[in-house]
Amino acid sequence: MEARLEQALLLKRVVEAIKDLVQDCNFDCNDTGIALQAMDNSHVALVSMLLKAEAFSPYRCDRNIPIGINLTSLTKVLRCAQNDDILTLKAEDSPDTINLTFESSESDRLSEYDIKLMDIDQDHLGIPETEYAATITMPSAEFQRICRDLIALSESVSIEATKEGVKFSCAGDIGNGSVTLRSHTNVEKPELNVEIDLAEPVALTFSLKYLVNFCKASALSGSVKLCLSNEVPLLVEYGLSGSSWLRFYLAPKIGDEE
Amino acid sequence: MGIKHLYQVIGEHAPDAIKTGEIKNQFGRKVAIDASMSIYSFLIAVRSEGQQLTSETGETTSHLMGMFYRTLRIVDNGIKPLYVFDGAPPKLKSGVLAKRVMRKAEATDAHEEAKETGTAEDVEKFSRRTVRVTREHNEECKRLLRLMGVPYIDAPTEAEAQCALLARAQKVYAAASEDMDTLCFDSPILLRHLTFSEQRKEPILEIHLDKVLAGLDMDRCQFVDLCILLGCDYLDPIPKVGPNTALKLIRDYKTLEGVVEYIEKDPKHKYSIPEDWPYKEARELFFNPDVRPADDPLCDFKWEMPDVEGLVQFLVTEKGFNEDRVRSAAVRLQKNLKGSQQQRLEGFFKPLPKTAEEIANIKRKNEEKNEEKKKKQKSEQKAKKETKGKPRGTA
Repeated sequence: MEARLEQALLLKRVVEAIKDLVQDCNFDCNDTGIALQAMDNSHVALVSMLLKAEAFSPYRCDRNIPIGINLTSLTKVLRCAQNDDILTLKAEDSPDTINLTFESSESDRLSEYDIKLMDIDQDHLGIPETEYAATITMPSAEFQRICRDLIALSESVSIEATKEGVKFSCAGDIGNGSVTLRSHTNVEKPELNVEIDLAEPVALTFSLKYLVNFCKASALSGSVKLCLSNEVPLLVEYGLSGSSWLRFYLAPKIGDEE
Repeated sequence: MGIKHLYQVIGEHAPDAIKTGEIKNQFGRKVAIDASMSIYSFLIAVRSEGQQLTSETGETTSHLMGMFYRTLRIVDNGIKPLYVFDGAPPKLKSGVLAKRVMRKAEATDAHEEAKETGTAEDVEKFSRRTVRVTREHNEECKRLLRLMGVPYIDAPTEAEAQCALLARAQKVYAAASEDMDTLCFDSPILLRHLTFSEQRKEPILEIHLDKVLAGLDMDRCQFVDLCILLGCDYLDPIPKVGPNTALKLIRDYKTLEGVVEYIEKDPKHKYSIPEDWPYKEARELFFNPDVRPADDPLCDFKWEMPDVEGLVQFLVTEKGFNEDRVRSAAVRLQKNLKGSQQQRLEGFFKPLPKTAEEIANIKRKNEEKNEEKKKKQKSEQKAKKETKGKPRGTA
């Protein structure tokens, strides 16, 4: 396997965004690209990433190779790369280590690191195709701000999408609060657009601790997509260049049926 | 107790069947707990300066202390526990039970003697061995559970068997017991260390039966036969048959019938089967234990609000617990029952079955590891022998 990334920044940010959620995970490499799927320890949230072959130049991988890696170790090595460095990943067919080289774009500096790999036995979850009842696209900084503001009051947030807009509300010991967003088109600054695509109204409750964690991916993309349907996990998607993506799924909190 | 060396065998041949994790990772799950085993362990472990805890009038309260606070810890971590109490033991167990009674009697004598002549350490050691769970202990625990709003059920015979059935029928996620024979009763998942004290910092072990069977490359019949051969509660073990031999015998002769035939026909008489060894009855007990079917109305469990005043009356007034602690615990019980519950992802996304390639990979790696271990052991032994062989003082 060999993959060359024009900017180390992309991988740095992806790993930075997920390393607090999962400790060890497999990067599954095949001819279409590099995929990752991992649940957090308590099996509430799931990270799913796909870096398509097009995101690299060039990309070569002839067999299915799982690369099991400790993300803390990977972070340590990625810290040695400058954001603009050209990053190349290399691994053998049944690898014990993965090789990373960073080439400076400005000078002739070349650094090279090997990280030991590990055997990770993890279940792959089948994620069914879902037609979501509501899809909300908004600036990722806005979503991050909402989550950070509301976690000061409560540990969970209820997200309610209706014709009028989408309302994030919470109630805690000191009081309650809410933020409402409406569909909004800004011609001059399209990155501030809020789009709400609604098939039917939904209302769900989620743990803010996890959402705040997801927001660490905000640096990867200017906008974020939230997909909701009643009684299914929330999908938070950050689009990456070249139709690659980083997705988070979060199981809802449900009032007890008994 | 349980199956001898089974945990060790699983660890060696099916390590991927055992998952370790923190108690909080089990949140949102219902678990059936073997109550009798837990109460026994509370009586042994919940102590202060080696003595069981007692109320002012001298009644033992270790079991209530354990039941109350350990259950609270389980509930605090978002788990819904239900307790299963032992019923009458099956006849085949009488041999083991008689031996236990004898040992208790011996220990009681030794305890008395130690009190007279022995050190404090001896006294404590023997006092632990004299522990027995009485009917009163059980009744008091049941009363406590009712007040806490935690459901329980009396098993017709063995509690582990009932726990296993509830897990198999998906009434609960797993059976929690320290007893490994819960797996013989076909519990899909066994949790160990769930009722341990927080201070012990023991991770929760989650043992998956399907992976055990896959790792051992056996079906359930063979697995149960293996467990009987390893040594269960119902039969005396065959002398000189340890975990390795037991595994080899089942691999070579497939069933206990085959093993017995081999042992009887073996001209060298390497092993001898105990005179009274009704292995077919034992096997029957594992396959068809006397349990309440899962659709029995008694198996509909409800977790209710705790009776705070009842708890205070029982634990504080009658048993001398600290009132503030009992009340704050009751508040936590209420809080955990109310409010919205965080769901687990497995409820929505199902794990995909592993591909044949992946399974083969796991197996190969496991074999490699075992090989390495054996080599290491051998070289260590060799090194030992060499150092032994050297005359002293020449080093």
